[in-house]
Amino acid sequence: MIIRKKYLFYVLALSSAVANAFASGVDAVVSSLFIHDPWAFGVACFLVGVIIALIFSIILSIRFKDKSLGSKAIDPSFNHLRFIRREEIKYQLLSAFGNAILTIGYYILLSILADPSVVIPFTQMVILYLVLMESITEKDMPTLVEVQSALIVTFGAILGSISFSGDINLLSLAIVFLVINPGWMISSIYQRKLKLLKINGKPNDSLNIRFWNVLFAFLITSGIVLIYDISSGANHLLNGIIYAFRFFNWISIMGIGTFFSLVLYIRALGIGKASVTQAVKSTAIIFSIPVSIILAYLNIIPSFSTDPTMVAIRGIGIILMILGIASYALTLVKAYIFIEMKPGYPILDIMRKLWDIRGVTRVAAVAGKYDFIIKIRTRTLVKGYEKIIRKLNEIEGIKKYKWESVLREWEKL
Amino acid sequence: MVLIAPENGLVKESMITAYILTILKPGSADKAIQEMRKIDHVEKISVVAGEYDIVVRVQVDNLEELLDVTNRIQMIDGVEKTTTQIIEKEIAL
Repeated sequence: MIIRKKYLFYVLALSSAVANAFASGVDAVVSSLFIHDPWAFGVACFLVGVIIALIFSIILSIRFKDKSLGSKAIDPSFNHLRFIRREEIKYQLLSAFGNAILTIGYYILLSILADPSVVIPFTQMVILYLVLMESITEKDMPTLVEVQSALIVTFGAILGSISFSGDINLLSLAIVFLVINPGWMISSIYQRKLKLLKINGKPNDSLNIRFWNVLFAFLITSGIVLIYDISSGANHLLNGIIYAFRFFNWISIMGIGTFFSLVLYIRALGIGKASVTQAVKSTAIIFSIPVSIILAYLNIIPSFSTDPTMVAIRGIGIILMILGIASYALTLVKAYIFIEMKPGYPILDIMRKLWDIRGVTRVAAVAGKYDFIIKIRTRTLVKGYEKIIRKLNEIEGIKKYKWESVLREWEKL
Repeated sequence: MVLIAPENGLVKESMITAYILTILKPGSADKAIQEMRKIDHVEKISVVAGEYDIVVRVQVDNLEELLDVTNRIQMIDGVEKTTTQIIEKEIAL
Protein backbone atom coordinates (compact mmCIF):
# COMPACT_ATOMS: atom_id res chain seq x y z
CA MET A 1 0.00 0.00 0.00
CA ILE A 2 1.33 3.40 -0.91
CA ILE A 3 0.08 6.28 1.23
CA ARG A 4 1.02 9.79 2.26
CA LYS A 5 3.73 9.42 4.88
CA LYS A 6 2.86 12.62 6.66
CA TYR A 7 -0.72 11.49 7.29
CA LEU A 8 0.43 8.14 8.60
CA PHE A 9 2.72 9.78 11.13
CA TYR A 10 -0.02 11.98 12.57
CA VAL A 11 -2.58 9.18 12.54
CA LEU A 12 -0.19 6.93 14.48
CA ALA A 13 0.85 9.58 17.01
CA LEU A 14 -2.72 10.76 17.58
CA SER A 15 -4.07 7.20 17.97
CA SER A 16 -1.31 6.62 20.47
CA ALA A 17 -2.50 9.70 22.36
CA VAL A 18 -6.11 8.45 22.38
CA ALA A 19 -5.06 5.03 23.70
CA ASN A 20 -2.90 6.76 26.29
CA ALA A 21 -5.80 8.96 27.48
CA PHE A 22 -7.96 5.85 27.82
CA ALA A 23 -5.27 4.00 29.78
CA SER A 24 -4.73 6.89 32.17
CA GLY A 25 -8.49 7.06 32.76
CA VAL A 26 -8.49 3.42 33.86
CA ASP A 27 -5.32 4.11 35.86
CA ALA A 28 -7.22 6.81 37.78
CA VAL A 29 -10.08 4.37 38.49
CA VAL A 30 -7.81 1.61 39.79
CA SER A 31 -5.62 3.86 41.92
CA SER A 32 -8.56 5.62 43.51
CA LEU A 33 -10.84 2.61 44.05
CA PHE A 34 -8.63 -0.44 44.55
CA ILE A 35 -4.90 0.00 45.03
CA HIS A 36 -3.62 2.81 47.19
CA ASP A 37 0.03 1.76 47.45
CA PRO A 38 1.72 3.36 44.40
CA TRP A 39 4.81 1.12 44.54
CA ALA A 40 2.77 -2.05 44.52
CA PHE A 41 0.48 -0.61 41.86
CA GLY A 42 3.51 0.09 39.66
CA VAL A 43 4.83 -3.45 40.02
CA ALA A 44 1.34 -4.83 39.29
CA CYS A 45 1.04 -2.67 36.16
CA PHE A 46 4.37 -3.83 34.80
CA LEU A 47 3.63 -7.49 35.55
CA VAL A 48 0.22 -7.33 33.89
CA GLY A 49 1.85 -5.26 31.10
CA VAL A 50 4.25 -8.12 30.35
CA ILE A 51 1.41 -10.66 30.29
CA ILE A 52 -0.73 -8.45 28.02
CA ALA A 53 2.19 -7.74 25.67
CA LEU A 54 2.90 -11.48 25.47
CA ILE A 55 -0.73 -12.44 24.82
CA PHE A 56 -1.25 -9.77 22.15
CA SER A 57 2.08 -10.40 20.45
CA ILE A 58 1.16 -14.10 20.18
CA ILE A 59 -2.35 -13.35 18.89
CA LEU A 60 -0.94 -10.89 16.36
CA SER A 61 1.62 -13.50 15.24
CA ILE A 62 -1.19 -15.72 13.92
CA ARG A 63 -0.84 -15.94 10.18
CA PHE A 64 -3.75 -15.28 7.95
CA LYS A 65 -3.35 -15.56 4.17
CA ASP A 66 0.43 -15.51 4.21
CA LYS A 67 0.73 -12.49 6.51
CA SER A 68 0.54 -12.16 10.27
CA LEU A 69 -2.42 -10.31 11.78
CA GLY A 70 0.00 -7.85 13.40
CA SER A 71 1.52 -6.90 10.08
CA LYS A 72 -1.93 -6.18 8.68
CA ALA A 73 -3.28 -4.31 11.66
CA ILE A 74 -0.38 -2.65 13.47
CA ASP A 75 3.03 -2.68 11.82
CA PRO A 76 3.83 -4.05 8.33
CA SER A 77 7.34 -5.03 9.42
CA PHE A 78 5.99 -7.35 12.14
CA ASN A 79 6.34 -11.01 11.30
CA HIS A 80 5.99 -12.92 14.57
CA LEU A 81 7.11 -12.68 18.17
CA ARG A 82 10.80 -13.46 18.17
CA PHE A 83 13.69 -13.71 20.54
CA ILE A 84 15.67 -10.55 21.22
CA ARG A 85 18.64 -9.96 18.88
CA ARG A 86 22.11 -9.34 20.16
CA GLU A 87 22.29 -5.93 18.48
CA GLU A 88 19.09 -4.92 20.26
CA ILE A 89 20.15 -5.81 23.81
CA LYS A 90 22.17 -2.65 24.50
CA TYR A 91 19.40 -0.32 23.34
CA GLN A 92 16.68 -2.36 25.08
CA LEU A 93 18.61 -2.23 28.36
CA LEU A 94 19.11 1.53 28.09
CA SER A 95 15.51 2.13 27.11
CA ALA A 96 14.21 -0.12 29.91
CA PHE A 97 16.59 1.54 32.35
CA GLY A 98 15.14 4.95 31.37
CA ASN A 99 11.65 3.53 31.81
CA ALA A 100 12.54 2.13 35.25
CA ILE A 101 14.07 5.43 36.46
CA LEU A 102 11.02 7.31 35.30
CA THR A 103 8.70 4.89 37.09
CA ILE A 104 10.72 4.92 40.32
CA GLY A 105 10.90 8.72 40.16
CA TYR A 106 7.14 8.78 39.90
CA TYR A 107 6.73 6.51 42.97
CA ILE A 108 9.08 8.69 45.01
CA LEU A 109 7.06 11.71 43.96
CA LEU A 110 3.85 10.02 45.11
CA SER A 111 5.40 8.99 48.40
CA ILE A 112 6.68 12.48 49.32
CA LEU A 113 3.57 14.34 48.18
CA ALA A 114 0.03 13.28 48.89
CA ASP A 115 -1.19 14.85 45.64
CA PRO A 116 1.48 15.65 43.06
CA SER A 117 -0.94 16.93 40.42
CA VAL A 118 0.71 20.36 40.41
CA VAL A 119 4.12 19.00 39.48
CA ILE A 120 2.99 16.29 37.03
CA PRO A 121 2.28 18.77 34.19
CA PHE A 122 5.97 19.66 34.22
CA THR A 123 6.76 16.18 32.92
CA GLN A 124 5.58 17.59 29.56
CA MET A 125 8.89 19.48 29.46
CA VAL A 126 10.34 16.20 28.20
CA ILE A 127 9.64 17.52 24.68
CA LEU A 128 12.27 20.21 25.27
CA TYR A 129 14.73 17.63 26.64
CA LEU A 130 14.27 15.68 23.42
CA VAL A 131 14.82 18.78 21.28
CA LEU A 132 18.04 19.47 23.17
CA MET A 133 19.19 15.86 22.92
CA GLU A 134 18.47 15.70 19.19
CA SER A 135 20.52 18.80 18.58
CA ILE A 136 23.46 16.82 19.98
CA THR A 137 22.86 13.35 18.57
CA GLU A 138 20.95 13.73 15.29
CA LYS A 139 22.47 15.18 12.20
CA ASP A 140 20.08 18.05 11.75
CA MET A 141 20.04 20.68 14.47
CA PRO A 142 16.59 21.88 15.50
CA THR A 143 15.64 24.97 13.56
CA LEU A 144 14.07 28.03 15.10
CA VAL A 145 10.63 26.86 13.97
CA GLU A 146 11.12 23.52 15.68
CA VAL A 147 12.24 25.12 18.93
CA GLN A 148 9.31 27.53 18.74
CA SER A 149 6.79 24.78 18.07
CA ALA A 150 8.28 22.63 20.83
CA LEU A 151 7.99 25.51 23.31
CA ILE A 152 4.42 26.29 22.25
CA VAL A 153 3.34 22.64 22.59
CA THR A 154 5.13 22.25 25.92
CA PHE A 155 3.61 25.38 27.45
CA GLY A 156 0.25 24.41 26.03
CA ALA A 157 0.55 20.96 27.57
CA ILE A 158 1.49 22.42 30.95
CA LEU A 159 -1.44 24.85 30.89
CA GLY A 160 -3.80 22.19 29.58
CA SER A 161 -3.08 19.84 32.45
CA ILE A 162 -2.39 22.39 35.18
CA SER A 163 -3.92 21.90 38.59
CA PHE A 164 -3.94 24.09 41.66
CA SER A 165 -5.20 21.43 44.00
CA GLY A 166 -2.01 19.59 44.95
CA ASP A 167 1.21 20.32 46.77
CA ILE A 168 4.46 21.58 45.38
CA ASN A 169 7.98 21.81 46.77
CA LEU A 170 11.50 22.11 45.53
CA LEU A 171 12.34 18.44 46.00
CA SER A 172 9.36 17.32 43.92
CA LEU A 173 10.31 19.67 41.09
CA ALA A 174 13.88 18.39 41.26
CA ILE A 175 12.58 14.82 40.88
CA VAL A 176 10.53 15.79 37.84
CA PHE A 177 13.36 17.67 36.15
CA LEU A 178 16.30 15.48 37.14
CA VAL A 179 14.81 11.99 37.35
CA ILE A 180 11.48 11.57 35.56
CA ASN A 181 12.16 13.69 32.46
CA PRO A 182 15.68 12.38 31.79
CA GLY A 183 14.39 8.81 32.26
CA TRP A 184 11.61 9.45 29.78
CA MET A 185 14.04 11.06 27.33
CA ILE A 186 16.45 8.10 27.48
CA SER A 187 13.59 5.68 27.01
CA SER A 188 12.23 7.52 23.92
CA ILE A 189 15.58 8.02 22.28
CA TYR A 190 16.55 4.36 22.52
CA GLN A 191 13.11 3.20 21.43
CA ARG A 192 13.64 5.28 18.30
CA LYS A 193 17.08 3.77 17.79
CA LEU A 194 15.55 0.30 18.13
CA LYS A 195 12.87 1.12 15.59
CA LEU A 196 15.49 2.35 13.12
CA LEU A 197 17.55 -0.83 13.48
CA LYS A 198 17.39 -3.28 10.61
CA ILE A 199 16.63 -6.90 11.46
CA ASN A 200 17.49 -9.27 8.60
CA GLY A 201 17.48 -6.34 6.21
CA LYS A 202 13.96 -5.35 7.21
CA PRO A 203 12.97 -2.48 9.49
CA ASN A 204 12.52 -3.48 13.12
CA ASP A 205 8.90 -3.88 14.25
CA SER A 206 7.24 -2.03 17.10
CA LEU A 207 5.49 -5.09 18.61
CA ASN A 208 8.69 -6.97 19.39
CA ILE A 209 10.32 -3.77 20.61
CA ARG A 210 7.43 -3.16 23.01
CA PHE A 211 7.33 -6.72 24.29
CA TRP A 212 11.04 -6.88 25.15
CA ASN A 213 10.94 -3.36 26.47
CA VAL A 214 8.19 -3.99 28.98
CA LEU A 215 9.82 -7.26 30.04
CA PHE A 216 13.19 -5.61 30.70
CA ALA A 217 11.58 -2.61 32.40
CA PHE A 218 9.59 -4.96 34.66
CA LEU A 219 12.73 -6.85 35.68
CA ILE A 220 14.75 -3.70 36.36
CA THR A 221 11.92 -2.01 38.26
CA SER A 222 11.22 -5.11 40.36
CA GLY A 223 14.92 -5.28 41.18
CA ILE A 224 14.92 -1.69 42.40
CA VAL A 225 11.67 -2.17 44.37
CA LEU A 226 13.10 -5.34 45.94
CA ILE A 227 16.20 -3.46 47.11
CA TYR A 228 13.95 -0.72 48.49
CA ASP A 229 11.77 -3.33 50.25
CA ILE A 230 14.77 -5.01 51.86
CA SER A 231 16.26 -1.73 53.03
CA SER A 232 12.97 -0.35 54.38
CA GLY A 233 11.32 -3.57 55.53
CA ALA A 234 8.25 -2.97 53.35
CA ASN A 235 6.48 -5.49 51.17
CA HIS A 236 5.72 -3.62 47.96
CA LEU A 237 6.98 -6.20 45.50
CA LEU A 238 4.99 -9.07 46.95
CA ASN A 239 1.88 -6.89 47.32
CA GLY A 240 2.29 -5.79 43.73
CA ILE A 241 2.30 -9.37 42.49
CA ILE A 242 -0.75 -10.18 44.63
CA TYR A 243 -2.58 -7.09 43.34
CA ALA A 244 -1.70 -7.99 39.76
CA PHE A 245 -3.76 -11.17 40.08
CA ARG A 246 -6.48 -9.89 42.40
CA PHE A 247 -7.31 -6.91 40.14
CA PHE A 248 -6.22 -8.53 36.90
CA ASN A 249 -9.37 -7.48 35.00
CA TRP A 250 -9.00 -3.79 35.70
CA ILE A 251 -5.25 -3.61 35.31
CA SER A 252 -5.38 -5.61 32.10
CA ILE A 253 -7.81 -3.11 30.54
CA MET A 254 -5.28 -0.43 31.37
CA GLY A 255 -2.47 -2.66 30.11
CA ILE A 256 -4.18 -3.10 26.73
CA GLY A 257 -4.52 0.70 26.39
CA THR A 258 -0.87 1.21 27.31
CA PHE A 259 0.31 -1.57 25.01
CA PHE A 260 -1.42 -0.16 21.94
CA SER A 261 -0.49 3.39 22.86
CA LEU A 262 3.19 2.47 23.02
CA VAL A 263 3.22 0.21 19.98
CA LEU A 264 1.74 3.02 17.88
CA TYR A 265 4.11 5.51 19.50
CA ILE A 266 7.16 3.36 18.69
CA ARG A 267 6.00 3.00 15.12
CA ALA A 268 5.56 6.77 14.82
CA LEU A 269 9.06 7.18 16.26
CA GLY A 270 10.35 5.30 13.25
CA ILE A 271 8.94 8.01 10.97
CA GLY A 272 9.38 11.30 12.80
CA LYS A 273 11.82 12.81 15.25
CA ALA A 274 11.34 11.83 18.90
CA SER A 275 10.55 15.42 19.94
CA VAL A 276 7.85 15.84 17.30
CA THR A 277 6.34 12.43 18.07
CA GLN A 278 6.29 13.23 21.77
CA ALA A 279 4.72 16.62 21.06
CA VAL A 280 1.90 15.05 19.04
CA LYS A 281 1.44 12.36 21.67
CA SER A 282 1.06 15.00 24.38
CA THR A 283 -2.37 15.72 22.88
CA ALA A 284 -3.39 12.85 25.18
CA ILE A 285 -4.13 15.76 27.53
CA ILE A 286 -6.90 16.92 25.21
CA PHE A 287 -8.35 13.42 24.80
CA SER A 288 -8.23 12.83 28.53
CA ILE A 289 -10.68 15.68 29.19
CA PRO A 290 -13.81 13.72 28.14
CA VAL A 291 -12.45 10.72 30.06
CA SER A 292 -12.06 12.73 33.26
CA ILE A 293 -15.49 14.32 32.82
CA ILE A 294 -17.02 10.83 32.69
CA LEU A 295 -14.98 9.63 35.67
CA ALA A 296 -15.91 12.72 37.68
CA TYR A 297 -19.55 12.17 36.79
CA LEU A 298 -19.28 8.62 38.15
CA ASN A 299 -17.74 10.07 41.32
CA ILE A 300 -14.51 8.12 40.89
CA ILE A 301 -12.23 11.14 40.77
CA PRO A 302 -12.86 14.62 42.26
CA SER A 303 -15.24 16.62 40.12
CA PHE A 304 -13.91 18.41 37.09
CA SER A 305 -13.17 22.08 37.83
CA THR A 306 -15.65 24.43 36.19
CA ASP A 307 -14.04 27.51 37.68
CA PRO A 308 -13.98 29.98 34.73
CA THR A 309 -10.30 30.84 35.33
CA MET A 310 -9.30 27.18 35.18
CA VAL A 311 -11.42 26.54 32.12
CA ALA A 312 -9.86 29.57 30.40
CA ILE A 313 -6.32 28.49 31.27
CA ARG A 314 -6.92 24.96 30.02
CA GLY A 315 -8.61 26.25 26.90
CA ILE A 316 -5.61 28.45 26.13
CA GLY A 317 -3.31 25.48 26.75
CA ILE A 318 -5.21 23.30 24.30
CA ILE A 319 -5.26 26.01 21.62
CA LEU A 320 -1.49 26.43 22.03
CA MET A 321 -0.93 22.68 21.66
CA ILE A 322 -2.99 22.47 18.48
CA LEU A 323 -1.21 25.51 17.02
CA GLY A 324 2.21 24.10 17.85
CA ILE A 325 1.44 20.76 16.25
CA ALA A 326 -0.07 22.39 13.16
CA SER A 327 3.10 24.41 12.73
CA TYR A 328 5.19 21.23 12.93
CA ALA A 329 3.01 19.66 10.30
CA LEU A 330 2.94 22.58 7.92
CA THR A 331 6.49 23.90 7.98
CA LEU A 332 8.41 20.87 6.77
CA VAL A 333 9.86 21.46 3.31
CA LYS A 334 11.47 18.66 1.32
CA ALA A 335 13.41 18.88 -1.92
CA TYR A 336 15.56 16.92 -4.31
CA ILE A 337 18.74 18.36 -5.75
CA PHE A 338 20.04 16.76 -8.94
CA ILE A 339 23.76 17.34 -9.37
CA GLU A 340 25.96 17.09 -12.45
CA MET A 341 29.72 16.92 -11.84
CA LYS A 342 32.76 17.93 -13.83
CA PRO A 343 34.99 14.95 -14.58
CA GLY A 344 38.01 14.26 -12.38
CA TYR A 345 36.67 14.50 -8.83
CA PRO A 346 36.53 11.46 -6.51
CA ILE A 347 32.95 10.34 -5.97
CA LEU A 348 33.32 9.18 -2.36
CA ASP A 349 34.86 12.51 -1.30
CA ILE A 350 32.06 14.49 -2.88
CA MET A 351 29.49 12.16 -1.31
CA ARG A 352 30.94 12.80 2.12
CA LYS A 353 30.95 16.56 1.55
CA LEU A 354 27.33 16.53 0.39
CA TRP A 355 26.35 14.39 3.37
CA ASP A 356 27.94 16.90 5.77
CA ILE A 357 25.60 19.68 4.66
CA ARG A 358 23.01 20.32 7.33
CA GLY A 359 19.53 19.28 6.25
CA VAL A 360 20.68 16.61 3.80
CA THR A 361 18.90 13.36 4.64
CA ARG A 362 19.98 11.20 1.73
CA VAL A 363 22.84 11.20 -0.76
CA ALA A 364 22.72 8.82 -3.71
CA ALA A 365 25.47 8.46 -6.27
CA VAL A 366 23.66 7.58 -9.46
CA ALA A 367 24.37 6.46 -12.99
CA GLY A 368 22.51 8.35 -15.67
CA LYS A 369 22.12 11.93 -16.64
CA TYR A 370 23.10 13.17 -13.18
CA ASP A 371 25.88 12.12 -10.82
CA PHE A 372 24.22 12.66 -7.46
CA ILE A 373 20.67 12.92 -6.24
CA ILE A 374 20.35 14.36 -2.76
CA LYS A 375 17.29 14.76 -0.58
CA ILE A 376 16.86 17.82 1.60
CA ARG A 377 14.68 18.42 4.62
CA THR A 378 14.39 21.92 6.00
CA ARG A 379 11.89 23.86 8.06
CA THR A 380 12.44 27.38 6.77
CA LEU A 381 12.57 27.56 3.02
CA VAL A 382 14.43 30.82 2.48
CA LYS A 383 17.07 30.31 5.14
CA GLY A 384 17.47 26.64 4.42
CA TYR A 385 17.65 27.20 0.69
CA GLU A 386 20.28 29.88 1.04
CA LYS A 387 22.42 27.88 3.46
CA ILE A 388 22.29 24.67 1.47
CA ILE A 389 22.95 26.36 -1.86
CA ARG A 390 25.87 28.30 -0.40
CA LYS A 391 27.42 25.09 0.96
CA LEU A 392 26.82 23.40 -2.38
CA ASN A 393 28.62 26.21 -4.20
CA GLU A 394 31.64 25.72 -1.95
CA ILE A 395 32.07 22.12 -3.14
CA GLU A 396 34.53 22.03 -6.00
CA GLY A 397 33.72 20.06 -9.11
CA ILE A 398 29.98 20.64 -9.29
CA LYS A 399 29.03 21.63 -12.80
CA LYS A 400 25.33 22.16 -12.46
CA TYR A 401 22.56 21.47 -10.01
CA LYS A 402 18.80 21.56 -10.11
CA TRP A 403 16.61 22.17 -7.08
CA GLU A 404 13.22 20.47 -7.18
CA SER A 405 10.91 21.20 -4.24
CA VAL A 406 8.71 18.30 -3.24
CA LEU A 407 5.06 19.27 -3.22
CA ARG A 408 3.52 15.97 -2.15
CA GLU A 409 4.83 12.54 -1.43
CA TRP A 410 3.51 8.98 -1.23
CA GLU A 411 5.45 6.15 0.25
CA LYS A 412 5.19 2.38 0.41
CA LEU A 413 4.98 1.10 3.98
CA MET B 1 23.50 9.75 13.29
CA VAL B 2 22.71 6.51 11.57
CA LEU B 3 24.57 5.67 8.42
CA ILE B 4 23.05 3.01 6.28
CA ALA B 5 25.19 1.93 3.41
CA PRO B 6 23.23 0.07 0.74
CA GLU B 7 25.09 -3.16 1.44
CA ASN B 8 24.16 -3.45 5.09
CA GLY B 9 20.48 -3.49 5.39
CA LEU B 10 18.39 -0.87 3.67
CA VAL B 11 18.75 -2.53 0.34
CA LYS B 12 19.65 -6.16 -0.17
CA GLU B 13 22.88 -6.61 -2.02
CA SER B 14 21.28 -8.00 -5.11
CA MET B 15 18.64 -5.30 -5.24
CA ILE B 16 18.63 -2.37 -7.60
CA THR B 17 17.24 0.95 -6.48
CA ALA B 18 16.63 3.71 -8.98
CA TYR B 19 15.03 7.06 -9.40
CA ILE B 20 12.81 7.53 -12.41
CA LEU B 21 12.38 11.22 -13.19
CA THR B 22 9.28 11.89 -15.22
CA ILE B 23 7.91 14.81 -17.17
CA LEU B 24 4.16 14.91 -17.68
CA LYS B 25 1.77 16.67 -19.99
CA PRO B 26 0.11 19.57 -18.19
CA GLY B 27 -2.98 18.57 -16.24
CA SER B 28 -2.33 14.86 -16.11
CA ALA B 29 -0.58 14.64 -12.73
CA ASP B 30 -3.43 13.31 -10.56
CA LYS B 31 -4.34 10.50 -12.93
CA ALA B 32 -0.71 9.55 -13.48
CA ILE B 33 -0.11 9.33 -9.72
CA GLN B 34 -3.13 7.05 -9.30
CA GLU B 35 -1.67 4.76 -11.96
CA MET B 36 1.85 4.82 -10.50
CA ARG B 37 0.55 3.86 -7.05
CA LYS B 38 -0.68 0.59 -8.55
CA ILE B 39 2.73 -0.46 -9.88
CA ASP B 40 4.68 -3.04 -7.87
CA HIS B 41 8.22 -2.19 -6.78
CA VAL B 42 7.41 1.51 -6.51
CA GLU B 43 8.77 2.72 -3.16
CA LYS B 44 8.03 6.39 -3.22
CA ILE B 45 6.29 8.92 -5.42
CA SER B 46 7.19 12.58 -5.04
CA VAL B 47 5.43 15.36 -6.88
CA VAL B 48 8.04 18.05 -7.44
CA ALA B 49 8.18 21.59 -8.77
CA GLY B 50 10.99 22.22 -11.21
CA GLU B 51 12.19 20.72 -14.46
CA TYR B 52 10.54 17.38 -13.65
CA ASP B 53 7.03 16.69 -12.45
CA ILE B 54 7.24 13.41 -10.58
CA VAL B 55 10.19 11.58 -9.06
CA VAL B 56 9.54 7.86 -8.55
CA ARG B 57 11.82 5.71 -6.43
CA VAL B 58 11.73 2.03 -7.32
CA GLN B 59 13.34 -1.07 -5.87
CA VAL B 60 13.71 -4.12 -8.08
CA ASP B 61 15.60 -7.42 -8.06
CA ASN B 62 17.24 -7.12 -11.47
CA LEU B 63 17.50 -4.99 -14.58
CA GLU B 64 14.75 -6.92 -16.30
CA GLU B 65 12.30 -5.83 -13.61
CA LEU B 66 13.58 -2.27 -13.84
CA LEU B 67 12.84 -2.28 -17.54
CA ASP B 68 9.37 -3.59 -16.79
CA VAL B 69 8.68 -0.83 -14.27
CA THR B 70 10.05 1.92 -16.52
CA ASN B 71 7.97 0.52 -19.32
CA ARG B 72 4.81 0.57 -17.24
CA ILE B 73 5.48 4.16 -16.19
CA GLN B 74 6.05 5.20 -19.79
CA MET B 75 2.79 3.55 -20.80
CA ILE B 76 0.81 5.75 -18.40
CA ASP B 77 -1.30 8.29 -20.21
CA GLY B 78 0.21 11.75 -19.82
CA VAL B 79 3.82 10.67 -19.22
CA GLU B 80 5.90 12.50 -21.78
CA LYS B 81 9.46 11.59 -20.90
CA THR B 82 11.32 9.56 -18.31
CA THR B 83 14.97 9.50 -17.21
CA THR B 84 16.19 6.58 -15.13
CA GLN B 85 18.97 7.08 -12.60
CA ILE B 86 20.31 3.88 -11.04
CA ILE B 87 21.71 4.29 -7.54
CA GLU B 88 25.26 3.01 -7.17
CA LYS B 89 25.88 3.99 -3.56
CA GLU B 90 23.75 5.67 -0.97
CA ILE B 91 23.97 7.25 2.47
CA ALA B 92 20.72 7.95 4.32
CA LEU B 93 19.52 8.97 7.75
